[in-house]
Amino acid sequence: MMLALQMYRSLPRHLAGRAVGDRLPGILSGYAAPLRLVTIEEPTVERPGWARLRTRLSGVCGSDLGALSGRTSRYFSGLVSMPFVPGHEVVADLLDDCEDLAAGTRVVIDPVLACAARGVEPCEACDDGLTNRCSRVTVGHLSPGLQTGFCADTGGGWGETLTAHRSQLHPVPEGLSDEQAILVEPIACAVHTALRARVEDNARVLVSGAGSVGLLTTMALRSLTPAGEITVVAKYAHQRELALQLGATEVVSPDEVLRRLRRSTGAFAVLPEHSAPYLLGGVDIAVDAVGSKGSLETALNTTRAGGRVVLSGMPAAADLSAAWFRELQVIGSYSSARREPGDRSAFDIATELVTGDVVAQLAKGVASYPLHRWREALDHAHGAGRLGSIKVAFDPSRKG
Amino acid sequence: MRKWAQEGLEDVRRVADGWRWGRRSQVPRSAEPFVPARQSTVFHTDWARTRAAQVAREVAQKGALEPLFRSQVRTSVEGLDVLAGLEGPVIFAANHASHLDTPLILLSLPTRWRRRTAVAAAADYFFDTWWRAVGSSIVFNTFPIERRGGTMATTPGEVLADGWSLVIFPEGTRSPDGFVGRFQFGAAYLATQHQVPVIPIAHRGTFAAMPRGQGWPSPGRRRLTVRFGEPLRPGSDESPREFAPRIRDAVAALLDEDRSTWWEARRRAADGATHDPAGPDTAQWRRVWEQTATVPAPEAGPRRAWPD
Amino acid sequence: MSRPGFVLEVDDRTPPLVVHEGLGFRLEDFPPGTRVIYPPESLPAIDDVDAAIREALLNPVDADPLPTKLFAGMRLTIAFDDISLPLPPMRAPDIRQRIIEAVLTMAADAGVDDVKIIAANALHRRMTPAELKQIVGERVFRSFHPQGDLYNHDAEDRDDLLHIGMTDKGEDVEINRRAAESDLLVYVNVNLVAMDGGHKSVPIGLASYKSLRQHHNPATMVASHSFMDHTKSHLHHSAWRMGRLLKDHLDIFQIETTLNNDVFGAPYDFLLKREWEWSVRDQASMLAVRRGLGAAPRRLRHKLFHDLRSPYGLTGINAGDTEAVHERTIAMVHRQQLTEVQGQTDVLVMGVPYLGPYNVNSSMNPILATCMGLGYYFNSYRGQPVVRRGGAVILYHPLDEGFNQLHHPSYVDFYEEILAESTDPAVIAEKYEQQFATDPWYVHLYRTSHAYHGVHPFYMWYWAAHAMDHVEEVIWVGADRRVAQRLGFRAASTLSDALEMASGAVGTSPTISYLHNPPHLIADVR
Repeated sequence: MMLALQMYRSLPRHLAGRAVGDRLPGILSGYAAPLRLVTIEEPTVERPGWARLRTRLSGVCGSDLGALSGRTSRYFSGLVSMPFVPGHEVVADLLDDCEDLAAGTRVVIDPVLACAARGVEPCEACDDGLTNRCSRVTVGHLSPGLQTGFCADTGGGWGETLTAHRSQLHPVPEGLSDEQAILVEPIACAVHTALRARVEDNARVLVSGAGSVGLLTTMALRSLTPAGEITVVAKYAHQRELALQLGATEVVSPDEVLRRLRRSTGAFAVLPEHSAPYLLGGVDIAVDAVGSKGSLETALNTTRAGGRVVLSGMPAAADLSAAWFRELQVIGSYSSARREPGDRSAFDIATELVTGDVVAQLAKGVASYPLHRWREALDHAHGAGRLGSIKVAFDPSRKG
Repeated sequence: MRKWAQEGLEDVRRVADGWRWGRRSQVPRSAEPFVPARQSTVFHTDWARTRAAQVAREVAQKGALEPLFRSQVRTSVEGLDVLAGLEGPVIFAANHASHLDTPLILLSLPTRWRRRTAVAAAADYFFDTWWRAVGSSIVFNTFPIERRGGTMATTPGEVLADGWSLVIFPEGTRSPDGFVGRFQFGAAYLATQHQVPVIPIAHRGTFAAMPRGQGWPSPGRRRLTVRFGEPLRPGSDESPREFAPRIRDAVAALLDEDRSTWWEARRRAADGATHDPAGPDTAQWRRVWEQTATVPAPEAGPRRAWPD
Repeated sequence: MSRPGFVLEVDDRTPPLVVHEGLGFRLEDFPPGTRVIYPPESLPAIDDVDAAIREALLNPVDADPLPTKLFAGMRLTIAFDDISLPLPPMRAPDIRQRIIEAVLTMAADAGVDDVKIIAANALHRRMTPAELKQIVGERVFRSFHPQGDLYNHDAEDRDDLLHIGMTDKGEDVEINRRAAESDLLVYVNVNLVAMDGGHKSVPIGLASYKSLRQHHNPATMVASHSFMDHTKSHLHHSAWRMGRLLKDHLDIFQIETTLNNDVFGAPYDFLLKREWEWSVRDQASMLAVRRGLGAAPRRLRHKLFHDLRSPYGLTGINAGDTEAVHERTIAMVHRQQLTEVQGQTDVLVMGVPYLGPYNVNSSMNPILATCMGLGYYFNSYRGQPVVRRGGAVILYHPLDEGFNQLHHPSYVDFYEEILAESTDPAVIAEKYEQQFATDPWYVHLYRTSHAYHGVHPFYMWYWAAHAMDHVEEVIWVGADRRVAQRLGFRAASTLSDALEMASGAVGTSPTISYLHNPPHLIADVR
């Protein structure tokens, strides 16, 4: 038996969260969250290639909060199996030997449950190493679930133990703290986003948002691409500092962003009636690193004609007129692939990036909570930007 | 809302403090050279002759002033019959010795006349502060005149033209010793200008009862006498300069009459031997001494059953 | 009879004094010994304005009577000062309307057909039709505006600018083409303060950006001591050189008017009186106005103030040759505004009111407030500044009005982008002026919307530069701390706090002067 946080089906809570979650985030950590602390059977290993892991640290991601508040599109309801233990950003110790990895090895997991983990013949995408595009995430010997942490069978990081397939495991190099290691998965996503953006030489890039996704994407863009000016939209002073350290050229506040980009790109502004102003002209590439309507529209409205808008956060419904009128390329960026351009895995690249000084400093801002203080933790995660934490995580082994 | 009210109170407090409410406002020393020569305060008294003010005045005079006045002094009034054949307006010209003069004259007048009579008062004294101005306007129906010449809000001529009779003290100020001073031309000027009759009035005893510098009548219910004289009508081409002495003479004759008898006074007047109301040229104390002598009870008339 | 201006020395008999601060005012207790500089009281106005206008047009100074210059078939252009004058705007009828009507009457009598009327707004925002109408009056507006014969000058319209030549100092003189090619240019001016008028009218009001930048730059503007004294202002020297050059190419008939100090009508007239002379009624109106403003939301306060129209009286009108006319004008302005002050002090206190030349019907953003305090008011001196070099300036303004996006788009960027980096005028000019001046978007907004030119905020900053250079410390009382910080200044909540903060520069018992303004005044510091 083990202690775990479990997400379950509750229509009233779902609707309540959806109705007021935006305005009263507090309600999510209170009554409306369809989440409970339970004692359940530990997941068991029945097939080769699988092993049990004991969670050391598991992060709270924006998509977790979205799911809890019911803001996530119903699109994804077919891709999960209830009830499940959330947590897809996981640092854990192997409890069993797993092929070449010995028990006790500290690993991070790539959460995508692709063909290999499901015991089916590789689909076209998996064959190419683009595991995040796997088309078999609902079939095979596992319940449907796009990732660990959304699947009823594997358990997730928000429980004491979970199971994972060898194809998901990446050993953590010596010398990295758990707090750094927990950032490997988000960095891998940021790496994937940066590479998906196919940044040209000296291209002007906007990163809308300076939460962990925005900051890590900024770092990835600066480290891996030949981007020119990178403008980051940040709300809070400490985010501003971090963004500059991670490679931003300038950091602007949300209400300044349109004017600043207009000035720096020499664009013309249009002030439509009863609608948000936008630019004719603007940046070459914009990354929405928030996933809110406002942030996505900022990205759409400030990108030059023919430019690229990368959806890094799970997107909200937004006005797509600009995409049509400005002939924008709207590019999705979901999770990370085992073979990125350059033939390396995003996790390998991320494991290198995570050793940097700035990330080490970032890792000090990881706040960890024991499972039973989950309401506090979620509340903290909601206000992470304001409170100056880069990441909120659960440490199931902590008791107090 | 509370904050707003508190700020309001704070403002009022600062203004009350800064502008010395209830006291005289002050000019910063360095600004004194720039204070303009003091203009007469223009105080509008038209409101004091409106219907509402008349009602208020009636209440004030009958309800408060008269009982108070009678409680402090005794009066005897003579010669009111001169008013019988007259239509207003007229100018009442009286000698001036005390602040009691005005209530004495007003309260001596028949009601019909009293209600239509206004009192000319020195602008620099009675209209100096708003509260004194308002008070005297309500109770005595005063309007401001300039002792030293200057602009006025309402001219006495306008008041006359509106049908109001005027009480004017031609001396322009209260006598320092009870004797009559020099008559200025104001009353005479108005009378000749507007061709209204002047009724001379002489009164005695007010100086004794409440001289200059005293704020309340002396104890003992002093006796005051007031005597109205025959109306004087200015000739159509008579100048104020000629008319003014006639007024003074008439007042002097009335004073004489009050002191002696009508007949004796007429005789002396005919001889041109009326006592000069300016009094004897003696030491100041003797003048005051004489004026503060108690006015004897009138000898004429039926004997009183009970001496008072 | 109006009394001259004078310097009050605050003593124990002095009541609290009015200090303007944005959309409101406060009562301030100044420390004893503070000098308070009051402007002269409002001069008596001319009763028969129309007769005075006729007289000026028929008997001009050093010029032929206007009717003799008018003939059938000629090109006549009438230019007039824009909405930045007077402040607050004048109660209808505006003096410009009455003069333009008089000029047009004479032109109609002479059979002139080709007449254009141009607002000399230089790099200021274009005025709306309603604003034009307010200035020129309904009759002129109806006769000229629909056909496009009454319009705003456009300093960026290459087709409508004419390069006249260079001054002997190599300054480009380029002005409105229509004006330059007219047989007669009549300029109708309102000389509210001493810096207006003279050769500032045509060479600046109708100039192109190319011509304006010859003197609107930090070097010239920092060296203009002060703008209110054209004999000592480098900016005016340049304008004068240009004006003299223009005079050889163009017949200019300058009409200058001066107004008295009747800035506030009832019930705000107490603001024009010396406080210790306030009657009970004045005190009551003051309290009522304070409470009213205290209860009103900002939008309403903004509306209340910006709807004020001043009952100005005309004190003088002169027409004819620019320089001869201006001499008379300046004499009259000085009569109305000059107050003699003995010596400098350590601290200068000024209240920045709700209105300056560049926020009529708009908002007093932090840059304009700075310009109003450190530019406009600080420079209101003759001789030497009221405050000594290395002293302190204390200003009153909440700095909370934000930016009007329609009128001041480049100001926002200047504030957010440039001031965040540097507040040094020289650095700013070097790095950013050209970027802003040539930004096609700002140019577009200036030409087609109602925006100040992209470069305009730089001029505001340069204007304040003389003061920033001159004093050690600038402190805003009652201001938003973050805004003051962005501007490179400090904020205090009360006067005593501000004096405390200034003590580093001026010691603990400094001498203080308070410029009791508005109405406008010029301190003649001996």
